[in-house]
Amino acid sequence: MFGFFKIPQQLKALGILGMNARNYNVISKYNKRRLYPLVDDKVQTKEMAVKNGINTTRKIAIITYQHEVKSLKQLVKDWPEFVIKPAHGSGGKGVLVIKSWKDDAFITASEKILSYTQVYQHISNILSGLYSLGGQYDVALIEEMVHFSDVFQNFSYQGVPDVRMIIYKGYPIMAMMRLATKESGGRANLHQGAVGVGLDVKTGRALTAVLHNKPILRHPDTNADLTKLCVPYWKEHLLIAAKAYEMTGLGYLGADIVLDKDKGPMMLELNARPGLSIQIANSAGLKKVIKKALKNYPAGLSAEARVDFILSQN
Amino acid sequence: MKKFFNVRRVLSIFLLLSIAWTLYAGWYKMTFWGFDLKSDATTDVFMVDAHITFKAHGKPVKVVLSTPHGYSKFKILNEKITAKGYHVKKDENTGRITLSSPNRNGEQNIYYRLMVYDTADSRGKVRQEEKITIQKPIFDDEQMIVVDNIFEQAQNIEGNEVQQLISLFNQTPLDENVQTLLPVKATRKIRAELLIDLLALKNISARLVHGVRLIEGKKAAMADLMLEAYDGYKWRLYDLQTGHEGLPKNFMVFQRGNVSLLDVEGGVNSKIRFSVLKSVTSSFEMAEHRAKLSSTDKFFTSSVYALPLWAQNVLKTLMVFPLGILVVVLMRNVVGVPTMGTFTPMLIAMSLIETGFVPGLICFVLIVAVGLILRRLLATLNLLLVPRIASVVIFVILIIQVLAVIGYHDNIDVAMSALFFPIIITAWIIERLSIIYEEEGFKNAMTESFYTLLTAIATYFVIKSDTVRHITFAFNEINLVILFLVMLLGTYTGYRLTELKRFYPLLKRK
Ligand SMILES: Nc1ncnc2c1ncn2[C@@H]1O[C@H](COP(=O)(O)OP(=O)(O)O)[C@@H](O)[C@H]1O
Ligand SMILES: [Mg+2]
Repeated sequence: MFGFFKIPQQLKALGILGMNARNYNVISKYNKRRLYPLVDDKVQTKEMAVKNGINTTRKIAIITYQHEVKSLKQLVKDWPEFVIKPAHGSGGKGVLVIKSWKDDAFITASEKILSYTQVYQHISNILSGLYSLGGQYDVALIEEMVHFSDVFQNFSYQGVPDVRMIIYKGYPIMAMMRLATKESGGRANLHQGAVGVGLDVKTGRALTAVLHNKPILRHPDTNADLTKLCVPYWKEHLLIAAKAYEMTGLGYLGADIVLDKDKGPMMLELNARPGLSIQIANSAGLKKVIKKALKNYPAGLSAEARVDFILSQN
Repeated sequence: MKKFFNVRRVLSIFLLLSIAWTLYAGWYKMTFWGFDLKSDATTDVFMVDAHITFKAHGKPVKVVLSTPHGYSKFKILNEKITAKGYHVKKDENTGRITLSSPNRNGEQNIYYRLMVYDTADSRGKVRQEEKITIQKPIFDDEQMIVVDNIFEQAQNIEGNEVQQLISLFNQTPLDENVQTLLPVKATRKIRAELLIDLLALKNISARLVHGVRLIEGKKAAMADLMLEAYDGYKWRLYDLQTGHEGLPKNFMVFQRGNVSLLDVEGGVNSKIRFSVLKSVTSSFEMAEHRAKLSSTDKFFTSSVYALPLWAQNVLKTLMVFPLGILVVVLMRNVVGVPTMGTFTPMLIAMSLIETGFVPGLICFVLIVAVGLILRRLLATLNLLLVPRIASVVIFVILIIQVLAVIGYHDNIDVAMSALFFPIIITAWIIERLSIIYEEEGFKNAMTESFYTLLTAIATYFVIKSDTVRHITFAFNEINLVILFLVMLLGTYTGYRLTELKRFYPLLKRK
């Protein structure tokens, strides 16, 4: 019983960042509210990324008004595959990945066949704000589909593994890879049953892996040895993350990066209020790393120099 | 970090200030306005009737009545004199009422009615006053022997000289010596007068005080008496039965000093009868009157308590909100449970208060469940968002209607309580639940509903209590304390309770 009262102290000693501390001490301190729209709106993020030379998925079209929805087929006529998502979505809500389509049939990444009417309906729902925060009117972003690198094929059950990186003052300080499972239904959210693999920020190698808060060694569905996981093009990953700082001006942010077969690492989205599960995947506390960065990491370096600095750390 | 520390410090200072202010205001309201921490605190209001009768003989009549004035600290709520055909005049300085009328005949009835309250702090403070000249009684030698005996015996009794004599006069059976000096049928007044005579022999000035003991249901053919004796400096009051000194808290003085209780000129056979009735009023209702008496009514009239009753009732409901909000803030930021919408739980709690806990809860779950089923059917229609939510709102209204009708006809409270739930919020809960259910599965939907209800129930139990509602209204400064508490919680950076569980595995792994 008394052990219970010691938990906060012990967590503190580990440098675990809690939700209140994240909001009060970190986000409200380093992230100006007026900068939020830059990352909350995927269209803006994308435009900025292009301007800043950050590799990201290409925009195909934006549907803003209901009457534009019927021109969907016209808009994607040159694209055999594409992704529709709400510009203000979160948590994968409303993301529709179409891996092939013809006439009236749209096949999703999870092999579901949708009729044109269903896709039309889906876009209407996006526009009316079903998937966006507070139910405000939204726009539908149509972008190119990522061809996921085969490197991770065995590591993920369906779905798309992505790298989540936490960037503090432009320095990537913690990273994890999220792997979909059968239970998570192809989604990469840890609380829905996806696997989180903590990655060494310096190397991109797996450190620890967790499923439902419990450490695991193998993927529950594919049985792949998670300790062998190593993300290729790691330096490029780091560079994308580091550049996101200059691009947005946010002192604390999360970047979701996916690896495309042909185009390499691509920034999928940014987040001004990244979650805390990454600490569980890494078995490490963010507060501790932030403290260390605040003390030791030099300010005023370029993105490249910061990445080099990270790589030179021991 | 330093800057944040300062925010916290500033807020803490404000919190302390607001606590101090609340305590001060609370003391002020309790003292001057009679507010109480208990919601059902009452004040006894005594109605004292003095009924004066006498016979007039066609001559001009003048009646002078002494009334409570200055000496006793009762608060007078109302004073009324009913005397048909009399000219009434009251001297505010002496408290004496003069009634006059030319040429009256026959039985006369004059009613004097007084409503008083706050017997508690009625202990009269006696000012220094002149003593009166002592009129020594004349006793023959035989009687003087008895008197000496009395004095001798009295010496062995506890108390001062006055109390010693009073005790002696109250012995049962009555002291023989005293009996000898009294007529066979001695009234209390005659005894008291003998006492005064004996005191005069001891060079102590003493006199009678007329008044009424406030005893519920009392009917008395004459006024109650107390003894006043001069101690060389001021007049001290003594109870004629017990010898206790001081004004008992239920004794209301009508007359003291050199005037009489009742003077009737132009009439005979005058009598004054007293009756007392007690009624109980909520202390809150007396507040305005108290404010007036304590000349703090300037503040009172600009307070919420001077508003019309319906407005006060609205405010009473409003003022309990901050506390509900505090509960929600605690549940979310300190406990860390996810709830549907920030203040949904509080609104549910408010409804539960109207409906009663169990029936309300059952009814609410029922509405949501039926709503969810309808919402599932709706989902197959693939409607756009706004029309879809609008339909859910209408569903809710229809469900409420049906439940109300069923409830009324079959006399089921559970169903009737449907009328009290906020329609939009309920619709919104249904919509949100069905989306969580669709997207994140049954389990997540259940978890979130569970926590929402849990928070609602916690809030309900806090704001339900009459005492809490009374305190947040009567001592509404407390809402300032809550405000700064909530603000301070806005700087709370510790772990949430649920995070301890969430991050607990990390401790084991290390
Ligand atoms: N262009 C894309 N190609 C393939 N899959 C995608 C693409 N965009 C998104 N996804 C999938 O949808 C998920 C959620 O998309 P994301 O852009 O991160 O939106 P959200 O803000 O809702 O998380 C991603 O993790 C990925 O699995
Ligand atoms: Mg995402």
